[in-house]
Amino acid sequence: MFEEASEVFDNMFKSSFPLTFIVFIPAVLILVSPLPAEAAHEFTVYRMQQYDLQGQPYGTRNAILNTEARTVEAEVLSRRCVIMRLVDFSYERYQKALRQSAGAVVIILPKNMSTMPQDIVQQFMELEPEMLATETIVPVYFALEDDELLSIYTQTLTSSSSQGSSSAAEVLIHTATANGFQMVTSGAQSKAVSDWAITSLEGRLAGTGGEDLPTIVLVAHYDSFGVAPWLSYGADSNGSGVSMLLELARLFSRLYTYKRTHAGYNLLFFVSGGGKFNYQGTKRWLEDNLDHTDSSLLQDNVAFVLCLDTLGNGDSLHLHVSKPPKEGTAQYALLKELETVASNQYPEVKFSMVHKKINLADDTLAWEHERFGIRRLPAFTLSHLNSHREVQRSSIMDVRSVSSEHGAGEPPAGPHVDLRKLSRNTKLIAESLARVIYNLTEKGAPGDLQIFTEQMQMQEEQLSSVVDWLTAQPRAAQLVDKDSSVVSTLEYHLGRYLKDVRRHYVKADKRDPEFVFYDQLKQTMNAYRVKPAIFDLLLAFCIAAYLGVIYLSIQVSVLFCVFKQTHFKVKQHGLRSGVANLSRHGQHT
Amino acid sequence: MTLFHFGNCFALAYFPYFITYKCSGLSEYNAFWRCVQAGATYLFVQLCKMLFLATFFPTWEGGAGVYDFVGEFMKATVDLADLLGLHLVMSRNAGKGEYKIMVAAMGWSTAELVMSRCIPLWVGARGIEFDWKYIQMSFDSNISLVHYIAMAAVVWMFTRYDLPKSFRLPVTVLLGLCVYKAFLMELFVHVFLLGSWTALLVKAVLTGSISLCSLFLFVTLVHSN
Repeated sequence: MFEEASEVFDNMFKSSFPLTFIVFIPAVLILVSPLPAEAAHEFTVYRMQQYDLQGQPYGTRNAILNTEARTVEAEVLSRRCVIMRLVDFSYERYQKALRQSAGAVVIILPKNMSTMPQDIVQQFMELEPEMLATETIVPVYFALEDDELLSIYTQTLTSSSSQGSSSAAEVLIHTATANGFQMVTSGAQSKAVSDWAITSLEGRLAGTGGEDLPTIVLVAHYDSFGVAPWLSYGADSNGSGVSMLLELARLFSRLYTYKRTHAGYNLLFFVSGGGKFNYQGTKRWLEDNLDHTDSSLLQDNVAFVLCLDTLGNGDSLHLHVSKPPKEGTAQYALLKELETVASNQYPEVKFSMVHKKINLADDTLAWEHERFGIRRLPAFTLSHLNSHREVQRSSIMDVRSVSSEHGAGEPPAGPHVDLRKLSRNTKLIAESLARVIYNLTEKGAPGDLQIFTEQMQMQEEQLSSVVDWLTAQPRAAQLVDKDSSVVSTLEYHLGRYLKDVRRHYVKADKRDPEFVFYDQLKQTMNAYRVKPAIFDLLLAFCIAAYLGVIYLSIQVSVLFCVFKQTHFKVKQHGLRSGVANLSRHGQHT
Repeated sequence: MTLFHFGNCFALAYFPYFITYKCSGLSEYNAFWRCVQAGATYLFVQLCKMLFLATFFPTWEGGAGVYDFVGEFMKATVDLADLLGLHLVMSRNAGKGEYKIMVAAMGWSTAELVMSRCIPLWVGARGIEFDWKYIQMSFDSNISLVHYIAMAAVVWMFTRYDLPKSFRLPVTVLLGLCVYKAFLMELFVHVFLLGSWTALLVKAVLTGSISLCSLFLFVTLVHSN
């Protein structure tokens, strides 16, 4: 047959040139064509943080992955992708995967975080900073669960947990029927983002009554932090602070529009970026205002700086200071006013002052006011948290509650914003600030005098909508660049109430960068169904046996036909010769 | 080992054709070029069928789950052109009955293998993702080989002038079954909601029964002369 085939091809070659083109060029093109990808399942994964802060690297260093999936129960984990669900997640399992040099770790989070029980959420929040503290070469991804991902997980679980167990026959059957999964990410390796600008916004309300008025600065950082940047929504920390700042801006700008209530204090509002990365926005803003400009509100007469950080929940308020305020200062006045208002109007709120010295030997500063304290400006931070080390300040579990599914009653398991408490805290702070600005205690106003009532009422819907908007998108510092909608919307809102709204950019220094961000934080991962190599060999063996059976059966049937024909011919021949013999014999006789 | 898997599927699909070609004695008759001509006829017939279907049959606008019985039945009727094509091939070849049948069937089914199975196998079986459908496709090509041999035999018998009266009816019935086999298979799958392996088994059984009947009729016809 091959001679005939070669004859045909010879004819084809000799006859016409275009024919060879038509036949061969497409064949060559098809041979070298790249493979199209058709996966069992394609889903978005979010990478763990990767950043350098003051030269110290944090988080995962790697982004690409192309390995087979296993769960933690499997025996061999090296160079495999370990899949874990949040309910089964524990630090020992994570460490076990890393110790056995796994290729990657993928953690599956439930779509609705509020269905998780409290203790699992708490445990995960405590593990987040530990996971980030150690630098891992292994890429760690988070994925939101859906039905297909869950089925992939259960299939991998059954095949992983049955690995070490059984006899050879069972292993053979297992390889034929089970499905392995190959996880492949589509992106490139992560690299440092150059020239990333962190944006901060400032605006002011000028006081009345002459030059050289004292200034009160209100600060809140708008970015959020979590173990995965794309999943950090930061509701309480610090969406609550930003919404409170905007509400205070609105209230005081209303007071300042009327001549009778226009006070003798300048109010400077600052929405800072990069807050979770050691308050980079504030640091550079201070440097620019104090070192590089001739005159700025910050250089002259600063009464105090009040930083708002995590005020959306809880029944306690802590005023964190680095130096206890001396009597007779504006700081001390605010402290006293806060105590007065809290005890008179909101007895359920426990107010206290927490004194913590600035420790410059620490890797990062504790609260935002310490940046101001380093530059000798009187500052404090208000928060419902007792310590800056609380894990809920930097957790992905900090989300706004999904109110549509839950209705009125059920709060989510993790940290979240309780709107009533946020508006109560806002009113408390607003009242205290007004008492300081208008010097009400000296003028003899009673402790339970409420200023912000009726037309000057706190707008709870405004607070609610700002918090909802802020928590609708992840606001990690690596994701909010200067063209981001978060920044421009904040700028617009500040512009409605304040004057001289300005942007302020921070870029890392070229030679000795304070912060370095990396990209490839969101990827598409494909899960391909694969069979082990043994399966291909097994299949080849089966196919060879099948072909052998066919060949033998055809040969047997051909032989049978030939046999039947010759037998028939022999019989015919024998009959004819017999008849001939008989006739000859008959003739003879 | 995905190229290996492609090799497996290709071997499973192609080797029975090779074995059939070798063992049926066609190689002694220099039948390769004639088989290629039969393949070319297959291409031509498929082209005509496609043009006809595209011109005269409207697209089905019903819901996704409803199966258009009448429409599919009409489309299956167009497969009568296959029979005409096979008859054309066989009438152009001179020789014994078996030779004509085998040449026509081999050429036709090899052309079908190359045209409709090679590219899906090449593109699909080589990828990382594994799917059982490629093995099923290769099995299906084996079944098609047997089916086309039976179909060619039935067409040959139908056009014989010396066909006994008692054979007319069975031969016509077999002819109809051959043409509408694809339609029947889809009907079974849709009504009984068969899985892919079960459907393959049913197809094999159906083709086997058709081919056994036609073989029986053929042997009886040849030996009665």
